[in-house]
Amino acid sequence: MLDVHDLWAGYGDVAAVRGVSLRVAEGEATAVLGPNGAGKTTLFRALVGLVRPRRGRVRFEGRSLEGLRPHQVVRRGIAYVAAERELFPQLTVLENLELGAYARPDGLRERLAAVFDLFPRLAERKSQRAGTLSGGEQQMLAIARALMGKPKLLLLDEPSTGLAPRLVAELYRRLDLLRRQGVTILLAEQQVGAALSLCSRVYVLKNGTLAFEGDSSDLRGSSHLHSAYLGGA
Amino acid sequence: MGVILDGLVLGLQLALLSVGIVFVYGLGGVLNLAHGQVAVAGGLVAALLVQARQHPAVAGVVGVLAAGFLALGMDRTLLQPAYRRKGEERLLLALILTLGASFALDGFYTFRYPNVALSLRLATPSVEVMGITVRTASLAVGALSLATFGLLLAFLKGTRLGKAIRCIIQNEAGAWLCGVDVDRARSVTLFLSGLLAGVAAVGQGFFSFLGPDMGPEFTILSLIVAVVGGVRSLTGTFLASLLLGVVNAALSYWVGTYLTWIALLAVAVATLLVRPEGLLAYWP
Amino acid sequence: MNAPWVRTVFPVAAVAVVLAAVPLAVGGSPYQMRLATLMLALASYAVAFNLLFGHTNQLFLCVGALASLGGYASVLLVRELKLPAVVAVGLATVAAAAAGGFLSYVGVRRGFGVLFVGIVTLAVSLMMHNLLLGLRELTNGETGIVTRGLGVGLGDDPRRAYYALWAVLVASLGGYRWLFRSPHGVALHALSEDEVSAELSGIDVTRYKVACATAASGLIGLVGALYADLNGFISPSVYTVGHVDIPVLVALLLGGVRTLLGPVVGAALFSAVDEVVRPFGQLTVLAYGALLVVLFLLFRQGVVPLAEKLAGRWLGPVARGAGLSAPPVSKEGVAGGTEAGR
Repeated sequence: MLDVHDLWAGYGDVAAVRGVSLRVAEGEATAVLGPNGAGKTTLFRALVGLVRPRRGRVRFEGRSLEGLRPHQVVRRGIAYVAAERELFPQLTVLENLELGAYARPDGLRERLAAVFDLFPRLAERKSQRAGTLSGGEQQMLAIARALMGKPKLLLLDEPSTGLAPRLVAELYRRLDLLRRQGVTILLAEQQVGAALSLCSRVYVLKNGTLAFEGDSSDLRGSSHLHSAYLGGA
Repeated sequence: MGVILDGLVLGLQLALLSVGIVFVYGLGGVLNLAHGQVAVAGGLVAALLVQARQHPAVAGVVGVLAAGFLALGMDRTLLQPAYRRKGEERLLLALILTLGASFALDGFYTFRYPNVALSLRLATPSVEVMGITVRTASLAVGALSLATFGLLLAFLKGTRLGKAIRCIIQNEAGAWLCGVDVDRARSVTLFLSGLLAGVAAVGQGFFSFLGPDMGPEFTILSLIVAVVGGVRSLTGTFLASLLLGVVNAALSYWVGTYLTWIALLAVAVATLLVRPEGLLAYWP
Repeated sequence: MNAPWVRTVFPVAAVAVVLAAVPLAVGGSPYQMRLATLMLALASYAVAFNLLFGHTNQLFLCVGALASLGGYASVLLVRELKLPAVVAVGLATVAAAAAGGFLSYVGVRRGFGVLFVGIVTLAVSLMMHNLLLGLRELTNGETGIVTRGLGVGLGDDPRRAYYALWAVLVASLGGYRWLFRSPHGVALHALSEDEVSAELSGIDVTRYKVACATAASGLIGLVGALYADLNGFISPSVYTVGHVDIPVLVALLLGGVRTLLGPVVGAALFSAVDEVVRPFGQLTVLAYGALLVVLFLLFRQGVVPLAEKLAGRWLGPVARGAGLSAPPVSKEGVAGGTEAGR
């Protein structure tokens, strides 16, 4: 579904992503792991168009994403939940969700109901300002808002950040539910355990390049993860 | 007390100018130093049409539209290099570019139309309203300004694009991710700011006086009001405009022009010293 | 042992010699002498503004106001208090320095950003302008004051006027050069890149900013006072934002921010353009606007850094040694935040 080939992207003189290639098959959950500064966020931002790639090719459902502005990428069916969440703090939960459906206003009510079903906590806080929600609730809202656009592919950047372990487990349960409902998932994580429990395929990024790619079962035994996070040649 | 009312009306006109500037700053991250000249463009076009024996209402509407399109034109051409950059770089580049544009426009106006001014002085008998003597002119301008704001509010709250604009001010990246075309929204915002400025100028011209050289004065006033009100807050700017409008009217009534300016500026500076973020630091 | 000393002094000395020769090249033409003198004044203002905006991020849009303080104070002190002209000029300089330092202190302590400082100082400029217009008994309002006999006699002798301003410019360039060759230069460089980091590295940002603002304001006041003398006449409209601040801004940006020669080259170019455009009359302002836009888009870094790049080795040691020719105002954002650049 998503085909990335030899992608190079960065800021100013610094290339944070160097020649990364990856593939995400439809209906799968794939993880991109790696320590801080490995280039995961830059990779995602390049995919969505918030950062212009220097080199390389990105194809989604067979069509190239080159030169598209972020709102156009979103309209093609890719939703991105940034690590910073990027909510609208002064607007209510409901208003944030409604804006998530900006590009696809039809069927708003059904989607709203589905999203509240998935995240009942948000239904309770419908009229509360997004800026006043707790970290976990904001994370849920960010994901819910992304879902309101009826995405085919959901990009999640470090969704477990700042969440208590219990909440992380809850979150990943819901992500699994989504996957089974047909949403393809690509997520970046620093916390390995939860990601491996959900995702079948894994890429490990280190200093902008791929250090490992394969099935998550293969990764468990290997030393690649260890060296990616803790250094070493 | 008629003075207070006059001040409020003046404040409303000031608000038309300042809200436009804040709007553009919140959405585009640029300050348009040629804002005053955009307003004057509207007044000049209206004046020329009136000279050509067109009906004032028609002239007014065309003038307002002209101002809007001038602002839109600036967005699509002059400001593009600024939009390619981010944050402070964008702001600084835009400042220089619009400064240059303000000179160019000012020079053009005073060179080509030095004697054209909008000064219709329509209907100015006084009227008794609740025991206060008021000029019809003031009422008319005030009503015009309020109506414009009403339309603006309806647009922002009611339409899809209006809602998108409100959310861009709060979080530009978030807006992109919701599928909002931020670039287009930005252009619309500039168009709107031009329209607002046009209404202010035409309103001034219809009931008082608008000359081709008043551009810089408009720009500076709206900048100062915008900063006092809180450059990211539309409501704060609105309130600050009213406040400064009343202060201006009251002082002009009691002391001379120069002292009024000084006091006005002193009030502005004092407000900034006490509350650097402006009266209301954030949206709404 | 000689070498480093010579390298420090060389660019300033070279400029001094070139500029000293100008009156000889120009011959006796009073008009051209006046032009040249005004250019020197503009260059001095630009050196000050370079220190304010280029190096310490303080967008003081009150150069004209500070200059008017210097001008009016020196003239009035002589006229009302019968002080000797030199003393009056000295006091006026101190007054301007104090005013600028005060503004800077308030801005730094309150944590004002660049834009904010710009708008506040703009408001101060307007206040000053209206104050001068309003205090009619003292300043004669818009009509102005004839300064003949109220100064050090610069108005009578074009040569003396030229060399007086020459001395001020050379001294200020020398001071600038010395400053940036000293340890303070490193601190200022750090400060202009990132104030927070500088503060955390132990640099007293407040002290540096206020000190620079005070020195720069004093320079502006001094030039303003000298200008009042050589012009023979002052009025509020002589020192407005349009007549002083804008040309200074354009000159500095044109010549190259944060360079030694930038203010001088920029002032020279600006003065040249001014002369060329003058016959256009009313169209002058339009021409300026267009010119400003075009030049800024083409020569974004300013002429001096551009010349550096082009001339490479020969001009290199001169211009490069001329203080830290860092890239101008723009801070190339490395890691993005969001597109909003928050």
